[in-house]
Amino acid sequence: MNTDYGAATAVRARRPAEQNGPVAVFDGVSKRFGRLLAVDGLSLELRKGETVALLGPNGAGKSTSLDMLLALRKPTSGAIRMFGTDPYLAVKEGRVGAMLQSGGLMPEVTVRELVTLVTSLHPDPEPVVETIRRAGLEGFKDQRVDKLSGGQTQRVRFALAICGKAELIVLDEPTVAMDVETRRLFWDSMKQEVADGRTVLFATHYLEEADQAADRILVINRGRLLADGTPAQIKARAGAKRLSFRLDGIDETFLLGLPGLASLEIHNDVVRIQSRDSDASLYALLRAGYRPREIEITSLGLEQAFLAITDEDNKKAN
Amino acid sequence: MNGTLILAKAEIGRLWRNKRYFLFTLLIPVVLYLAVGKTKSTAYGTSFGVVYMIAMGTMGAFSGALNGNAIRISQEKKDGWIRQLRLTALPASSYVVAKIIASMATTVPSVVIVLLLGRFYGGIHLPAGHWLVIAVTMWFGATIFAALAVAIGYRFAPDQAQPVTMIVYFAFAVLGGLWFPLGGVMQKIGEGLPTYAVVRICSDVVSGASVPAYLVAALIAWLAVFAALATLAVRTTAESI
Repeated sequence: MNTDYGAATAVRARRPAEQNGPVAVFDGVSKRFGRLLAVDGLSLELRKGETVALLGPNGAGKSTSLDMLLALRKPTSGAIRMFGTDPYLAVKEGRVGAMLQSGGLMPEVTVRELVTLVTSLHPDPEPVVETIRRAGLEGFKDQRVDKLSGGQTQRVRFALAICGKAELIVLDEPTVAMDVETRRLFWDSMKQEVADGRTVLFATHYLEEADQAADRILVINRGRLLADGTPAQIKARAGAKRLSFRLDGIDETFLLGLPGLASLEIHNDVVRIQSRDSDASLYALLRAGYRPREIEITSLGLEQAFLAITDEDNKKAN
Repeated sequence: MNGTLILAKAEIGRLWRNKRYFLFTLLIPVVLYLAVGKTKSTAYGTSFGVVYMIAMGTMGAFSGALNGNAIRISQEKKDGWIRQLRLTALPASSYVVAKIIASMATTVPSVVIVLLLGRFYGGIHLPAGHWLVIAVTMWFGATIFAALAVAIGYRFAPDQAQPVTMIVYFAFAVLGGLWFPLGGVMQKIGEGLPTYAVVRICSDVVSGASVPAYLVAALIAWLAVFAALATLAVRTTAESI
């Protein structure tokens, strides 16, 4: 199945000294556009073999951060290193492949011609047939690039991101315009890239996707990093479970003192609690002699966790 | 092969398939030359047929260098193709260099075909050295417009690049005397333009008159101006690509 080990080993052997260093480092990076501070003191580190989701609402600074990582824009302050060197050099050495929302395709040529062209512009590329297979372009490789559907165009852009056999793959909202089936195929091919030892960084606002595909999630809002952890840790941070029940004679002060409590909502006799430890919250309630009715305990999805984290941040700003 | 040359080859392939490009660079000049080229008259101290042959060959090449690049570059900038290329191992300047190399190659047929028509259809006989000098002058004078096209393409969005290119095209074609030889006031206006300089240098070579040095200097000055505009446009838009 995997024919690339020989070549991958050769790449590693060529760069032995950097093998254990981080793939990319942001050190206090800010970017200002006029009066807008798009990225505000971002510091983070990507490690080899990780699949990292950059999660944030529109305008959070995701695309700007990726642009700076790829040396398309210069930070206003702070520094970015990729593979221990300047990002521009890392790009020119073919060590990073990217699929950008703003990245376009050359029109008037066929899919195969375009992939062949871009492949030949990389120093140590994947064979064209292999890229076409991995990106799933067989069905339309002889069609003209400007005559493709949205989902097909995305797959071609993905092909251009992987054809250089880069060590780091950067994807900005990769599955926009893909239908459910294409999206599933896309993440399958992505897993193959990770299995080959590559590092993947993708920006998304599909929370479900970040939850399923990433093993680490970076939540950013208003240009700042709010949370950095596994999907489970992110969910836990915002209060992992939702506990709801009906209760007569509510004592709000007592409820606020419950162990593990992250947030509390009361509507008449209905109480909704987000708790980091729903068992402890419930036991404390029962021990105090309360007898709540219609108890429901549900897991918070990543979406609620994400909203909780960004809401908290937005409230601080106002 | 060098990456820039690979890209230039792909650009040539694209232009080759483009019907609009053929229409402006080959079909229109050829048809006009066939229709008007045998008119018995004189211009710029030589026969009208010679001047018109030079003008048509230059017009096709100039139109290819200008129209073939400006709107495409503008569109490719908007679509993000230039951005995508910046993520390859190619140096940042390669995109522009490849466009210029492609122009240098694809303007050759316009010049050669019209000159061949002049020789075998128009019955124009010149010493071999004169053919060579006028061919190179026409080609050079037309190709400098690729630099202006880069400036327009980088500076303007596609919907603006279209009218700007057309205005520039008509100004240099008509005022430079490519459509019809100039005289009187028109000639005074057009004398400073590179398109006029090309036709005048070539017709002076053919008529045996000495070529005024200021015409050659004008061509080189225009190249310097276009190259400076292109460099400025590319530099100032680097962050927005």
